[in-house]
Amino acid sequence: MRPAWRLLGALALGAVVYFYGATSEVAWLFLFGFLVWCAAAAMFLYARWNARGLTGGLRLLDVIPSPLSPISEIPERDFRDAPLPAPVFEGDVARLELRLDSADGRARGPARFTAAVGEIALEAGTGLVPPGGWSAVRELGPVARGPLAAQRLAIESSDPLGVFRTRRVLPEEGLALALPLFTSLTDNRHVREVESQLTVVRAGHGTDLYGVREFRSGDALRRIHWRTSARRGQLVVREFEPPGLRVLALLLDPAPASPAVADQLARLAASEAWDCYRAGGRVLAWSPGLEPLAPWQARSVWAVLEWLARWPQLPAEESEVPRAMDAIAFTDRPDGPAVQALRQLQDRGAAARAWLVGSEPDLDGVPFTRAGLGWPLPE
Amino acid sequence: MRRLRLPASPVEDSGHARAFALAAFGVACLAIALYGQSYLVPPVAFAIAVAGHRFSYAWRRRKRSRLMQAALAGLMFLTLAYFVFDSVLGIFGANLPQANLVMLLVAVTSFDLTTRRNLYSSLWMTLALVYLAAVFAWDLQFGVFVVLWVACLLGFWAASNLRRLGSPGFELPRRPVALALAAGLVVGGGLFWLLPQPSASPSGPLVISLPSNLQFGGLEQPAVPLVQFATDPSGKSDNVDLRFRGRLGDQIVMYVRTGAPAYWRGLTFDRYRNGSWVVSQPAAFRFRTFHAYVDSHELGSTAVGPQLGDFVQTVRIVRSIPGVIYAAAPVESLYYPAAEVREDQFGDFYAPAPHKAGTTYSVVSHLPDYRPASLRVLTPELPDPVDGTYKDAGNLSLRARQLARSYLDGFDPLSERYDAVIALAKHLQADYRYTLATPPAPAGVDPVDYFLFDAKYGYCEMFATAAALMLRSQGIPTRLVTGYDPGEYSSTLDQTIVRERDAHAWIEVFFPGHGWVPVDPTPGFSALAATRFPDRWAASGLAHLIPHLSLGAPAAALTGLGAFALLPGLLGLVAILAFGLLWLSRRRPPLRARSPGEAELIRVYDRLQRRLGRRRAPPQTPNEYRRAAAGGELDSLLEEVTEAVNRGVYSDRWPGPAEVAELRSRLS
Repeated sequence: MRPAWRLLGALALGAVVYFYGATSEVAWLFLFGFLVWCAAAAMFLYARWNARGLTGGLRLLDVIPSPLSPISEIPERDFRDAPLPAPVFEGDVARLELRLDSADGRARGPARFTAAVGEIALEAGTGLVPPGGWSAVRELGPVARGPLAAQRLAIESSDPLGVFRTRRVLPEEGLALALPLFTSLTDNRHVREVESQLTVVRAGHGTDLYGVREFRSGDALRRIHWRTSARRGQLVVREFEPPGLRVLALLLDPAPASPAVADQLARLAASEAWDCYRAGGRVLAWSPGLEPLAPWQARSVWAVLEWLARWPQLPAEESEVPRAMDAIAFTDRPDGPAVQALRQLQDRGAAARAWLVGSEPDLDGVPFTRAGLGWPLPE
Repeated sequence: MRRLRLPASPVEDSGHARAFALAAFGVACLAIALYGQSYLVPPVAFAIAVAGHRFSYAWRRRKRSRLMQAALAGLMFLTLAYFVFDSVLGIFGANLPQANLVMLLVAVTSFDLTTRRNLYSSLWMTLALVYLAAVFAWDLQFGVFVVLWVACLLGFWAASNLRRLGSPGFELPRRPVALALAAGLVVGGGLFWLLPQPSASPSGPLVISLPSNLQFGGLEQPAVPLVQFATDPSGKSDNVDLRFRGRLGDQIVMYVRTGAPAYWRGLTFDRYRNGSWVVSQPAAFRFRTFHAYVDSHELGSTAVGPQLGDFVQTVRIVRSIPGVIYAAAPVESLYYPAAEVREDQFGDFYAPAPHKAGTTYSVVSHLPDYRPASLRVLTPELPDPVDGTYKDAGNLSLRARQLARSYLDGFDPLSERYDAVIALAKHLQADYRYTLATPPAPAGVDPVDYFLFDAKYGYCEMFATAAALMLRSQGIPTRLVTGYDPGEYSSTLDQTIVRERDAHAWIEVFFPGHGWVPVDPTPGFSALAATRFPDRWAASGLAHLIPHLSLGAPAAALTGLGAFALLPGLLGLVAILAFGLLWLSRRRPPLRARSPGEAELIRVYDRLQRRLGRRRAPPQTPNEYRRAAAGGELDSLLEEVTEAVNRGVYSDRWPGPAEVAELRSRLS
């Protein structure tokens, strides 16, 4: 807690009138001086009490979708594991709640909550924080792709007169992750939703090993993986992919030329992933030198969207090119590492193609589609 | 060298802050109106200020046009012109012209209050008005104005602070703020009442109101002591006749705000003849004339002998009395609101006309060191006055002279003057009785002899006359002084209330090296009538170390408060209760966070779904349900209920019962 200049003014005012009282024998000036000094002292105690009882936070309250938001394309069923309270896509307007609470249920104040989201400063203040808390809503947007984090959070409180002020810094908070825009790139609207619904992981179907999971009633006993069961101490069964399941590998360069290029590549990758999911497939995302999408997240559209939202700001990790029969590279350079990885998969027999953003020379030997930076893509 | 510049002051957007600044001005105007008895300018100025504040607030972000700036400047010059005319010519009554000037300036500048710094300037001008009213205030009720003005200042600070924090309104937690301010008020008031009030060396007399154009013209000695019946309607007289005694009632004559209780010296007489004191002819025509403000340079050095300091007195005349400027002697400087004042050779000051009710003047006096140890040291560099008038005992009888000799208790009047004088004074105090019911001396009998040998009782003039003549008969220069005794002293307000019955007479004895020292031979008073500089920094802090003021000063102050006597006790009780409650509340276990509205809100949500004819599917989030069910007449209610449910479910912040009840009522 630090005193404001106003404290000096109050002390000086009290001293001046006290001096005048002593030299002029006007007794009331002593009362005046004492009242001002005692008010300042009372405000010191108040400011301490106020600062100790205040907490606060910032959270995503709601989202106002942009006109380009793909939210309406996502079936309601897929919102079961969507981010809460609502998924945020780039270009949306996020409604943030700045909140101040009283720790012990007593009314407090005044106080102000400040935070910075990116370059944008947010603040909201009030003279009264009721026992049930106080909040203010601020709109932020349109947001860019990537993590939406609140930095420099602080609660500023003071006494009612502003004589003593306290500023308490809070730890940074992640608010949301702005997902890349996407749209369906296929003209074929035959969406195998029914098949995708039936694409439930069942043990015993297909030939490609997918993984292991816990034993459920109805599973065939011959699918029990005894070694893993002994290790874990519980029955687990082998899990196989159903036949005809498409596995798509998205290959992205780790260092796109510019943020605009990165955004466009992410949108294209998200769109390809969306089409794959709608067809009942799975998606693996990979970028050389960066942490890949975990295999068990391959079935979640939200997981790949979140991965694409963070790309290329992902932790460094060396990993092999994922094995898949379908692979798409997203790049702005014909000789980038994503294209090189694509050629490896192509050599292994995978169906390979690429998206090339920008005006770089054509790719040799790989079917590609050129795109600009605008979204949505022209017809 | 970099120029020092003040940071730019922000435009004050807070209407509440401006309201508090205006309220502070209102308090100051009311104080001036009530205590300065000025009833025209304060309400007019306040009305103008109200309009000015509204205009300033509406135009706070607009640039002032040249026409407007010229108009404001013109109004300020008009205000100054009023001040000059009223001060010099008194065309508006000349009642507090400088206070009126400040009020009108505040009113005019209220049209140009843009920034916070402007508002501060306005506030400090109103503080000057409160100070001016405080000079005139003579009762405890003025404390209410002080508290109100401080409250306005605190409100201004609070409003500007809330604005700084971005709070849209003026809302604060009532209970803790009230508790904090009440604690400040109680402690501040308690400190004011309990702590000694220091007296610093005054910088000069207070210039309270501007001088009028009253001058001397044909009035030689416009003075009369209250111990004498006035001989004409103006009260003009020039003697003290022991055969007459003036009216001594309870009416208040004046209030004196003083740094030290003292005798308020009015007139001095040096010749006694046939039962009457007069001013001798040579002295009667020795005057010096000064302007309204008489500083120490003009007066010259009036301090004789060792001094303890200076102190200021502010005298407010309550009723019309002759124009004697009562003050503690010796005077160092003074201010009287008249064009001229006059000083006689005794150091008494006179105004050119009788005092009107409400006349207020200020005097700075020296505080000589009249302690016994100091007075016993006689300095030959300042010998007795050569004027034999002061040793002329007149026709004092031989019997009285012999009595005087016996009263000296063998002390040498020349070398042991202090002990001799005190011995005589104490004998008079012990052997004679004070009473106002003294019949005049029979015809043909000397009043002094009648008092000393026959009646053996009398009032102050008898005692003073007898002491003066008896001392003179022993070769000690003495003279008679009339005025008022210190009066009823209030240590809280640092003022004395002087009534008619406080009219008094005493003597002044010349001590070589100390000058004329006041001595009071009347029973009930300390023999040495001089004041001692009060030790206001005494650790006890509850009493002024004045010889005739007992250590029961707090009790005396308490009884002097009248009905307010209950106030300190009540305030103490309130303070104890407040701190006790605070202590108890801290001992109480902290409140557990509750969610009283949780179950009720879920019930409301269920009812809403039934009303909409559509139940939320289990995997459906509230937001999904809201989007699916939107389009009906309950959209807004559905949105609010959905928000409340989301807050409760995801953040564990359930609404309160009142909020849920409001939602339920809208559903009904």
